[in-house]
Amino acid sequence: MRKSTPYLLLLPALLFTFFVLVYPLAQNLVNSFRQVSLIRGSGGWVGVQNYAKIFGDSLFWLSFRNTLIYAIAGTMLSVLTGLGFALLLHEKIGRITSLMGFLYTIPWVISPVVAGFAWKWLLNDNYGIINYWLVQTGIVNEGITWLGDVHTALIGVIVARVWQFYPFAMVMLMAGLQTIPQEQYEAASVDGATPLQRFIHITLPNLRSVMSVLLVLGVIWSFNDFNMVFVMTRGGPINASMVLPVLVREFSFVHFDLGRGSALSVMVFVLLASMSFFYLKVLAKREAQ
Amino acid sequence: MNKVVRVTVMVILAFFVLLPFLWTMSTSLKPLPEVNRYPPEWFSPTMSLTPYVDMFFYLPFSTYTLNSLMVALGATILTLTFGSLAGYAFSRFQFRGKHLFLLIFLLSQMLPGASVIVPLFQLAKESGLYDTHVGLILIHTALLLPFVIWLLYGFFNAIPMEVEDAALIDGCSRLQALRRVILPLALPGIGATAIFAFLGSWNEFFFALILTASDSTRTIPVGIGLFVGEYMDVWNQMSAAAVLFSLPPLLLFLLMRRTFIRGLAAGALK
Amino acid sequence: MKHRAILIAFVVLISFSCGKKDNVVEVQFWNFGGTVNFMKWVRQRIETFNQTHPGIRVVQSDKSWNMIREILYANFSAGVGPDVMTVHANYAAEFGGAGFFYPLNKFPDFEEVKRKYEPNLFESGRYKDDYYGLPSAAIAFVLVCNKALFDREGIRPPKTWSEFREAAKRLTKDTNGDGTIDQYGLVVMGGDKGGFAYRLIPFFLKAGVNFMSDDMTKITFNTPRGVAALKLFADMYQTDHSITPGFLAYTLSEINDLFSGNRVAMSIEGPWFRAMVQEKSPGNDFYTVPVPVPDDMIAQYDTAPTLQDMVMYPISAQSKHLEETWEFLKYIRNEESDMAYVRANLGAIATTNFALNSPEAEQYPDMQVYRHELQHARPWPAHPAIIPIVNNVLAPYGQKAIAGEITPQEALDLAAKEAQEIVEGKK
Repeated sequence: MRKSTPYLLLLPALLFTFFVLVYPLAQNLVNSFRQVSLIRGSGGWVGVQNYAKIFGDSLFWLSFRNTLIYAIAGTMLSVLTGLGFALLLHEKIGRITSLMGFLYTIPWVISPVVAGFAWKWLLNDNYGIINYWLVQTGIVNEGITWLGDVHTALIGVIVARVWQFYPFAMVMLMAGLQTIPQEQYEAASVDGATPLQRFIHITLPNLRSVMSVLLVLGVIWSFNDFNMVFVMTRGGPINASMVLPVLVREFSFVHFDLGRGSALSVMVFVLLASMSFFYLKVLAKREAQ
Repeated sequence: MNKVVRVTVMVILAFFVLLPFLWTMSTSLKPLPEVNRYPPEWFSPTMSLTPYVDMFFYLPFSTYTLNSLMVALGATILTLTFGSLAGYAFSRFQFRGKHLFLLIFLLSQMLPGASVIVPLFQLAKESGLYDTHVGLILIHTALLLPFVIWLLYGFFNAIPMEVEDAALIDGCSRLQALRRVILPLALPGIGATAIFAFLGSWNEFFFALILTASDSTRTIPVGIGLFVGEYMDVWNQMSAAAVLFSLPPLLLFLLMRRTFIRGLAAGALK
Repeated sequence: MKHRAILIAFVVLISFSCGKKDNVVEVQFWNFGGTVNFMKWVRQRIETFNQTHPGIRVVQSDKSWNMIREILYANFSAGVGPDVMTVHANYAAEFGGAGFFYPLNKFPDFEEVKRKYEPNLFESGRYKDDYYGLPSAAIAFVLVCNKALFDREGIRPPKTWSEFREAAKRLTKDTNGDGTIDQYGLVVMGGDKGGFAYRLIPFFLKAGVNFMSDDMTKITFNTPRGVAALKLFADMYQTDHSITPGFLAYTLSEINDLFSGNRVAMSIEGPWFRAMVQEKSPGNDFYTVPVPVPDDMIAQYDTAPTLQDMVMYPISAQSKHLEETWEFLKYIRNEESDMAYVRANLGAIATTNFALNSPEAEQYPDMQVYRHELQHARPWPAHPAIIPIVNNVLAPYGQKAIAGEITPQEALDLAAKEAQEIVEGKK
């Protein structure tokens, strides 16, 4: 066995990764310091001008804020929902639990494009069934223009996001629930603890590491989420639901300012890399336990 | 909690969970006047499968489907081939830089598409791969490789070294051992990985959106995603397309639930 | 072994996708927009062309107006794209200037072809000294009023801004007594930025406000009258609530739905609208009238300009089949084709002299209004950067002002400033 064998085996995969991931990242970095416009033609080095323009652009800050809200609210709600479902499914009732588990996981399997499309139709202000129910049950007086109103568009996409992501949380938490030693519960019962107390003092602490992994992953993946938001709103109305990945496309393929698009995507990457680094630390801590 | 209450709650929740999909299905069976009706109805006497037929005429969905299939198959084959080699290397060898490479593959899973799309667009342009099947297959392969490598790494690890050692003693080369001994044993895992790879490509939207343009290369998700904004929104046909598009993932999920879940966990925990 | 078989099958599959090479020249035609009947008619016309021109096969692809600029720019800059397509006439400046369109005046029989068309409309496709497209459909933006709703209320279509605002208010009501408003006076297309700007600017033009100076060096839309035009919409939305609440996400399909369902009374549209709505809901009828003028300009009602646009067919400069594409172009836009615009309800106004002067033209619904408006209508300035300015500067600021995020004055001042920077090449 030659020493080079493993390297040869790795070579094709590394080549792919290099051309599609490493090289573009580097090129992206270079682009971000140049004036690259499909319309104006490529100019030369402009230093940090692209970055400066982004920092001075209120649209960027709006996007950033939207993305934060989307990521944090979306993930937290997903984890909470997932926890609720996991608890519900934890005590098996014959095959019903299995069937329900299958049904509850379906949103995860559906493509984000279909999810975005389906929710867009559900939330339609004129013909959507959600508005119909809201009005019929008297919760609101008239239908809400979910994706057409600057105040509710972000809520609409967050709802869709929670729908898509909670099954992942649910499955992970179910696995986590199963690792909790029964003895802990039995001991607590003997001590006279109520179900709520058992939940707070046994279940939650045991799930802490799983939940932290979920929160970090959920936030990271949200920052990456282009598909669903694009399909539902394209970032509108008037940028009310503009998130960073969609903004990158807007700069690069609507304004055709590739230099600025590159700069923004470098910023997004740095943000994500830091969060990933943080995630790895969380993982390492978990493995140490 | 009372068993009956719990089951009722679960069923109600299932309905709400599936609401978007059920409502899309309902829409996909209605004629257009019924679609745009308020108050909305779940069922109408004029429901039929017509939208499922019409959609192939209104927009070129037969072409889109062919494209999606070709790209997904191509990406799956390439990914499995190169991914197996890499996964095997990680699993069976110790070598310098192993952890670095593992890290690279892990991190690249979290790579935002936005960070690479612009240079990739330029690269595709200059290499003539813009708006081609081959270009999209290569991109998808690269996108899926990290995840696939991690999965196969895990599956190969589960096979004890002794099995291979026996083969090596019998005179097999490394590659032969891989092919004749490891792969058959890892087949269930490889099958599951193949499914993940296929679905990953099938569902991929962002790169397909930016790197293709003409109908002859467009994939289904791009067709559905770009649909909004036409003069005549044929929501029923589009819903039909969405339902059909979701069938492969749903069916595969139904048949291979456990492996799906294992893959989910593997993706996050490793 | 199995792997190898799969690989072979895969290679075979791929090779099929690369197309068969025969002696037929394939011309790629991207048809942006159009009503359903129009698209069907084009397909039939192409069928006939393909049959009568062996050796050329035109392949039609229908796409949405929605992302036309992004799609075309990305494709052309990548060296691919269609041979022929439909675009707005004002693309001549940007795309013609960038060398993406082929100057039609280079074809030997150009002058002969040019003579067939209405001269003013033909000029819309010119940039500097080259002509970049054959006219397809002429467009003037007008006000469409839902006949059923107006008649029910007993009011006439408005001529002045006050009447317009009043009409919208009166036609915003709760029609079935359930406590919620289900009918609105006005709908504006907010979901497509270009479309939105096209519907806003006619009010500016009618008020005598020009988008740019004639020499195209200065942005001029942020005058007091311009602000007044924008403020009209802002007030209608924020104070009267007579504009449909969800308008920011509406595209033509939602507007079609609303009109077909008699849930909105007015919209700012063009020749496609009647055809589009009547395809969906044949019983619907409208009053088609000029866009209203400011109250103190009622004397100029007959001559105040609206926005003119034109759909035209350019040829890609990168096309490998220029001659064949030109043959197709001449066919799809010949007098016979144009007469179809007149006779059938395709939602397009003819552009050849023959069709426009034909007796049947008089029968075309709303022809009088459109003909009258086209006499005085003004197109967007033929500046290469006009489209990004309109879509990415004017439209967002306009929407913000109407939605109430900023005042109309602020919106137009900020928009004018950014637009001016683009014009001066600073952005």
